[in-house]
Amino acid sequence: MSVPDYMQCAEDHQTVVVVVQPMGIVPEDQFFRIYKRIASVSQVSIRDSQRVLFIRFRHHYPPENNEWGDFQTHRKVVGLISVTSCTTAKEWLQTSDRFHGQKEVFGSTLYDSRLLVFGLQGEVAEQQRTDVAFYPSYDDCPDVEKRVEDFVESIFIVLESKRLDRATDKSGDKIQMLCVPFEKKDFVGLDTDSRHYKKRCQGRMRKHVGDLCLQAGMLQDALVHYHMAVELLRSVNDFLWLGAALEGLCSASVIFHYPGGTAGKSGARKPSVSSAADAGKRHRPGQCIVLSESGEKYYKSAGVIELEACIKAVRVLAIQKRAMEASEFLQNAVYINLGQLSEEEKIQRYSVLSELYELIGFQRKSAFFKRVAAMQCVAPTIPEPGWKACYKLLLETLPGYSLSLDPKDFSKGTHRGWAAVQLRLLHELVYASRRMGNPGLSVRHLSFLLQTMLDFLSDQEKKEVTQSLENYTSKCPGGMEVISLPDGLKLPPVPFTKLPIVRSVSLLNLPVSLRPHKVKGLLGQGLSSASPFIYSPITMHSRGDERSKKIDFQWVQGDVCEVQLMVYNPMPFELRVENMGLLTSGVDFESLPAALSLPAESGLYPVTLVGVPRTAGNITINGYHTSVFGVSSDCLLEGLVGVKSSGCMVEVVPSLPRLQLCTSLPRSAHLSSEDLSTSVSLQLFNGETQQLTITLENIGTETLNTLELTSKTLSTKEKLFGEFLTWDLQDALSHLPLKSGQSVSIPVNISAKLDFSGQESLLNDLNDDGISVTGLPVSSPLRQVLKPRTENKPVEGGGVEGPGDTLEAVLTFKYSGGAGQVEGYYRELSLGVRVDVEPSVFFTRVSTLPATSTRQCHLLLDVFNSTEHELTLSAKNNQDLVLHASECQRMAIQVDKLDFDSMPVTDHDALRQATVRQQEEKRQQVQGGLINSTLDIHWTIISFTERHGEASVEGVLNQLILEHLQLAPLQWDVVVNGKPCDCDVIADCRVGDAVPLEVKLTNRSKSAVGPFSLTIVPFQDYQNGVQNYDLQDAVTFIGSNTFYIGTVNPTENSVCVGALLFLYTGDFYLNIKFQDDSTARDLPPAWFCLPSVHIKAQEPVEL
Amino acid sequence: MAVCIAVIAKENYPLYIRSVPTQGELKFHYTVHTSLDVVEEKISGVGKALADQRELYLGLLYPTEDYKVYGYMTNSKVKFVIVVDSSNTSLRDNEIRSMFRKLHNSFTDVMCNPFYNPGDPIQSKAFDSIVSTMMVQAF
Repeated sequence: MSVPDYMQCAEDHQTVVVVVQPMGIVPEDQFFRIYKRIASVSQVSIRDSQRVLFIRFRHHYPPENNEWGDFQTHRKVVGLISVTSCTTAKEWLQTSDRFHGQKEVFGSTLYDSRLLVFGLQGEVAEQQRTDVAFYPSYDDCPDVEKRVEDFVESIFIVLESKRLDRATDKSGDKIQMLCVPFEKKDFVGLDTDSRHYKKRCQGRMRKHVGDLCLQAGMLQDALVHYHMAVELLRSVNDFLWLGAALEGLCSASVIFHYPGGTAGKSGARKPSVSSAADAGKRHRPGQCIVLSESGEKYYKSAGVIELEACIKAVRVLAIQKRAMEASEFLQNAVYINLGQLSEEEKIQRYSVLSELYELIGFQRKSAFFKRVAAMQCVAPTIPEPGWKACYKLLLETLPGYSLSLDPKDFSKGTHRGWAAVQLRLLHELVYASRRMGNPGLSVRHLSFLLQTMLDFLSDQEKKEVTQSLENYTSKCPGGMEVISLPDGLKLPPVPFTKLPIVRSVSLLNLPVSLRPHKVKGLLGQGLSSASPFIYSPITMHSRGDERSKKIDFQWVQGDVCEVQLMVYNPMPFELRVENMGLLTSGVDFESLPAALSLPAESGLYPVTLVGVPRTAGNITINGYHTSVFGVSSDCLLEGLVGVKSSGCMVEVVPSLPRLQLCTSLPRSAHLSSEDLSTSVSLQLFNGETQQLTITLENIGTETLNTLELTSKTLSTKEKLFGEFLTWDLQDALSHLPLKSGQSVSIPVNISAKLDFSGQESLLNDLNDDGISVTGLPVSSPLRQVLKPRTENKPVEGGGVEGPGDTLEAVLTFKYSGGAGQVEGYYRELSLGVRVDVEPSVFFTRVSTLPATSTRQCHLLLDVFNSTEHELTLSAKNNQDLVLHASECQRMAIQVDKLDFDSMPVTDHDALRQATVRQQEEKRQQVQGGLINSTLDIHWTIISFTERHGEASVEGVLNQLILEHLQLAPLQWDVVVNGKPCDCDVIADCRVGDAVPLEVKLTNRSKSAVGPFSLTIVPFQDYQNGVQNYDLQDAVTFIGSNTFYIGTVNPTENSVCVGALLFLYTGDFYLNIKFQDDSTARDLPPAWFCLPSVHIKAQEPVEL
Repeated sequence: MAVCIAVIAKENYPLYIRSVPTQGELKFHYTVHTSLDVVEEKISGVGKALADQRELYLGLLYPTEDYKVYGYMTNSKVKFVIVVDSSNTSLRDNEIRSMFRKLHNSFTDVMCNPFYNPGDPIQSKAFDSIVSTMMVQAF
């Protein structure tokens, strides 16, 4: 006996075997339909008794197993049912013969047989025969079951008669020696009369009767017979049969205790003795030990029997939950050598072992044997390897190795498991699925392997795995779809989240020039609707959650938006990632995929993924997709471990126009502090003005509707005079709306006017030449005034420009249009302007000199040319002055004194807010500006004619000089002989005539002045430095030479009149002097600047 | 004397596994892996019947043709598995026990290392050398 029945269980001892076979040509499906109907009659209650006969139907039974029928009767084939097709009567005879032939095969053991004939009609079919049943067709056979039952009953009758025959045959004279096939030759020549032999025969027969009793449903009798057999056989050391007797005994007790069955097919067997279960519990351990003994000790010579006994024992122990003992049986079963097994048998053997291990809860062992079985399916010795079966078995081993094929189970932290073993299994799955001819499946498994086991692969293995993955994907690219296997298993997609590994995801703001800004007014409305408070901690908290994921900048529809990923490549070779793009939701998003190549074992590597939102709304970045080694994967951010993200939702505002800016000047490096789109830089001499043309082109798709321009001068330590940047936007605005592709130009004037006051060192150097600085009369207070100026200077012009002073300003264009404008968004484009200011000219010293007229004065400027070029300097009403490089010259300009008080006061509010000091500065600035515009000093560099500029004296003038330049608030008018005298006006008069002299004081100041007393002193100037005051006999006063002017209220005037009489001809001067008067001291001396009167006395006209 | 020594975490994944380099490493992985079935069965049995028993040594887990597999479980349910050659009959049960005790002591030292994260694979050199002495002695 060489074919073990791996499905054996203890109950099988109770059954009889009936073979159902097709005869001739019977369609397979029809045969199995009939077989199923026959097999449904697996137990038959016998009429007039409590007993039940159990039948095992087999459609295939090896005849050599039948030979062991004497040893264990449940191995004996007792019935044969043949199924055949027969259409004509002619065939019938032939069929009948073949049926007899078939009976011969099991002839020695058969109790009865039946033939089912299908398709035959006519007279042959009419005949009534017990052993043959005729049916017109396979579909029309209603009483098959009935027939089978009858057949089983007839078997039972034979069985029962045999049992009774054997059981009562106790004489023992001539008991037949029962033996197993291989024993037969051992008994040749044995003394049949010996006592030993007889006892042996008796024991074996007793055991045989036990078997029959068991089969016939006499359980109690069977137990008795088995016990007796055990006694008999033990005494004669007939171990094989002793084992069989013990096995029978155990089987009987198992049947008794577990009427539900031990094979797991509880439905197949109806419990007949329900109360027995409780009673049996006490005996269980003992019986099982017996069973184990029977297996281990006595079946050394019959491997198949031993194996089957082991299997039976395991099944029983599994029910009893005695896994340790069961495992010992199985361990034993593994070592039972059955000689040469066919591959198919090996597979069956391993699968059954696996099944049994599973039964006792040994998942890992079960998985191990299942895997061995799987490998056996494709052993090299098999001509047609069963890859499908192998694959199927391998899949079943997965739970045993605690491996699931869902990558999500591996996403939490580092993988913990039997990596080496799991790796092997995955490799086998890959190989099996490939050989199955399902490359998609193998790609899926291989990507799973790579994704989940990456940490456990050596560098060499990584290379090999990826290489083979690339080979597979060249035939069948991997995707993200779920693969469903025929048996219902679903293989979820495997996204390559580790190739490359993403460490952080951050959404990038648009470049500064493209960022949308919300119009302030609309923003305010939005806030006020949310809360009436400007700040409230409560509302902040409630908004915290929804805001946590939203980013506080916006993207613009139609513009390229960027997301930066920090990735690294864990592979020991260069990783090529293709078609890497973003996965988004919420907004139509056109992802522009990128391909990248990461160097081996790279560090963190920034990757920027770009895309264009096509509609407005809130966009959420869900993840990214890649294509690596031909496997495309969608990696969702929420599934990634250790990814830093600052949020992945951002608002997309409706589209806005886009401006591109070009300038007439070359671009330069960005300015230090500000975030600018572009900037220009240029070099100007101090005071120079240059025009910059800015061209704006609408390169977006939307029409530009509004444009604003503002400028901001960055804080500089330099004092800047005048406007740095000036422009005229009118022309540009008239071109609006600006369609896509159109452009507009805006001229901007850049003028650099810094302080022109000279450096201290220069000043000192220049003093050496001894030029009189003041030019004022010695008595003038200005002499004292000028001295402090040198002390003031370092404070005032502290940052006097050395070479390379810079001015920076930002021009900001605000523009809007399209759908974004409706939503209240605009964009800003800023242009940085940087000017390196080179010094041009300096005013090293400034002073005033009174002019002949009290209404005018001379402004003396020491001008220093600090450039390396020759330049000319021109002022209003003055001739050009040529200055060589580093030359200093004095320039005198006659200036009309200015009436600052009549100037419009610009800004009352501003003045009120400012401090007194600021007011003062402001006023000084305004006055300086006025003087500067009056002077209008220009320089031109001769070598380059286009370089010219103005020189502002604003910063140079100090308070004292300003006072000198100011028209005094007390206006003195001297009228001689009815002729106003000022400056160089010479009043004519006749000798001998009384010359009326009128001095008029007009008070323009804000307070009352006076009283004053004036003394008029005449003198003669000989033009040689000698002045003759001794004129008593040349000039006489008519009346007093002293005038008295009372208090003059503001805006009023006072006139005092006197007269002079010249006695001789000549040129006389009148010096109008103030008497020392304390009140006059408080007022500035410049206020008392009376014109000197020049009178020419002539001979009286002789008439 | 031992051909393979393994430390298995409470959750039944290997913390440490080392075998004689001459033979197939994978084979020992399979051997130790399947032995866990027996360990589990044994401790579930202990839990029921002998709850108060302080015996950590689990004894022979199962013999195979070539090897004998012994088990040991600490109170924190970390398992040690030692595989010895079946041909080595000189080994007594007591010697196996002392090997386990040595292993346990060394393992305790590993756990005392403040830089060791329980649940991570053991990479301690001291532990490695103890294991080496146990594996080398026979040769």
